Amino acid sequence: MPVIASHLHAWRRNPNPWLGPATLALLAGCNPAQSVLHPAGEDAAEIARLFWVMAVGAVVIWAVVFGAAVFAIVSRRKPTTERGADLVVLFGGVVFPTVTLGALLAYGLTLLPDWGPGEPPDLRVHVEAEQYWWRVRIEGPDGAMIETANEVVLPAGAEVDFHLTSPDVIHSFWIPPLGGKMDTIPGRENVLRLRPTTPGLYRGICAEFCGASHAFMAFEARVVPPEDFTAYLAAQAEPASGDASAFVAAGCGGCHTVRGVVELGATGPDLTHFASRATIAGILDNTSEILREWIAHPVAFKPDARMPSYDMLTDDQMDAILAFLGGLK
Amino acid sequence: MSKAAPHKRRRVETGTDLCQVIAAPIVWSLHFLACYVWAAIHCEKAGRMADLDPARTGIFVLTGIALALIGFNTLRLWRIRARSLTDDDFDYDHDTPEERHRFLGHVALMLSVLSGVGVIYVAIPAVLVGTCR
Ligand code: HEC
Ligand SMILES: [Cu+2]
Repeated sequence: MPVIASHLHAWRRNPNPWLGPATLALLAGCNPAQSVLHPAGEDAAEIARLFWVMAVGAVVIWAVVFGAAVFAIVSRRKPTTERGADLVVLFGGVVFPTVTLGALLAYGLTLLPDWGPGEPPDLRVHVEAEQYWWRVRIEGPDGAMIETANEVVLPAGAEVDFHLTSPDVIHSFWIPPLGGKMDTIPGRENVLRLRPTTPGLYRGICAEFCGASHAFMAFEARVVPPEDFTAYLAAQAEPASGDASAFVAAGCGGCHTVRGVVELGATGPDLTHFASRATIAGILDNTSEILREWIAHPVAFKPDARMPSYDMLTDDQMDAILAFLGGLK
Repeated sequence: MSKAAPHKRRRVETGTDLCQVIAAPIVWSLHFLACYVWAAIHCEKAGRMADLDPARTGIFVLTGIALALIGFNTLRLWRIRARSLTDDDFDYDHDTPEERHRFLGHVALMLSVLSGVGVIYVAIPAVLVGTCR
């Protein structure tokens, strides 16, 4: 079955106001929600600065080199002395590159993270990258784990530690506007510290090829004001309620936990507050029409997805399941 | 320098051999290995947050030794080939032993300078990074 791309979640476009219409047309493919050049976090700002420093430096060096080449071609001056040529080669070919690269190396080294276990973060988020979705557990203030999936909500200004791992293959956790990426490695736990600064809606992605649906392994990263985060956390900690009979009868409960209703298995994403999420599976708009298609044919959206197709459900069964899922606010 | 008086300090058809060409890169690679192995062993024993200072001292000493060796090598090659970087010495078409020595001398000198730069780059992180993290 061909992959259906028409339902892909449209990421909010908020291009910089100073970009003129012409640039806008040029940048139509650029999406600030997933752009390293629109930093919304401390680390991303440093990375963007590094990029601009290097880009401008490269342009200047390029201009000087080509200027020299053009000068050599068009100027009618006599050859300079051999000593002059020696100096040009020695300075331009040996001293200048050595010093420039050395300075860049030093600059890059100062960007290395320097925090230690003695400096605890404001928030810990445990992320398991699985083919092809993200299991997210937020560590509440009391140490309790609050599980959700394909969505990371963060308080602006807080220092957040992501504890990253994976049960299957190597993936890589990356929210470009917030900072650098880090691999999730089976059997290991990597810690990535980020400090998001600007509230907004961003797109996180898997940055290490992990299988057929690697490119669809995305999630929503939402940075909110701290008081909103407190409210979000409280809401997520609540159990769900509703009539789960059709959901359980179809076997969905064997893989999906809905806290307070079905807690039989958890090989798939936690659905306790599924209706409050913006996306289905991190990539589709969360509407009941699209959800109907997802449940019937997950692999039509994510090839090789580890959820069976439910195209044999009757309309009544499907409607009952959709009603249940729609009520999981 | 003109071609008339090219080789003041050595007899024609002598000067360098392959060993001298690879001497400086070998120093560079040994320095690289020693620095990384030293730091790795130190950090493995002392833990992730430990001070890097003991290893740093070692790395600086090794760097000093490596640079001295490479500097000595460079100087020797420079004496053999003390001439312009850009003169018409790059004429290697006649397949003679003298040309071979000039060519090897040239390569060895360049590699020697490159190795010096490499050693310095290996040492820069030790200047800037203070812990095992
Ligand atoms: C064999 C285990 C399994 C069963 C049974 C199963 N699912 Fe899934 N489900 C998954 C997996 C795995 C994913 C994640 C797919 C991906 O994104 O790669 C998923 C994803 C989903 C999602 C998207 C979750 C999110 O976070 O956006 C929904 C909704 C869903 N399933 C509903 C259902 C329903 C309804 C049923 C029953 C009709 C069902 N699933 C049966 C394994 C299962
Ligand atoms: Cu992946």
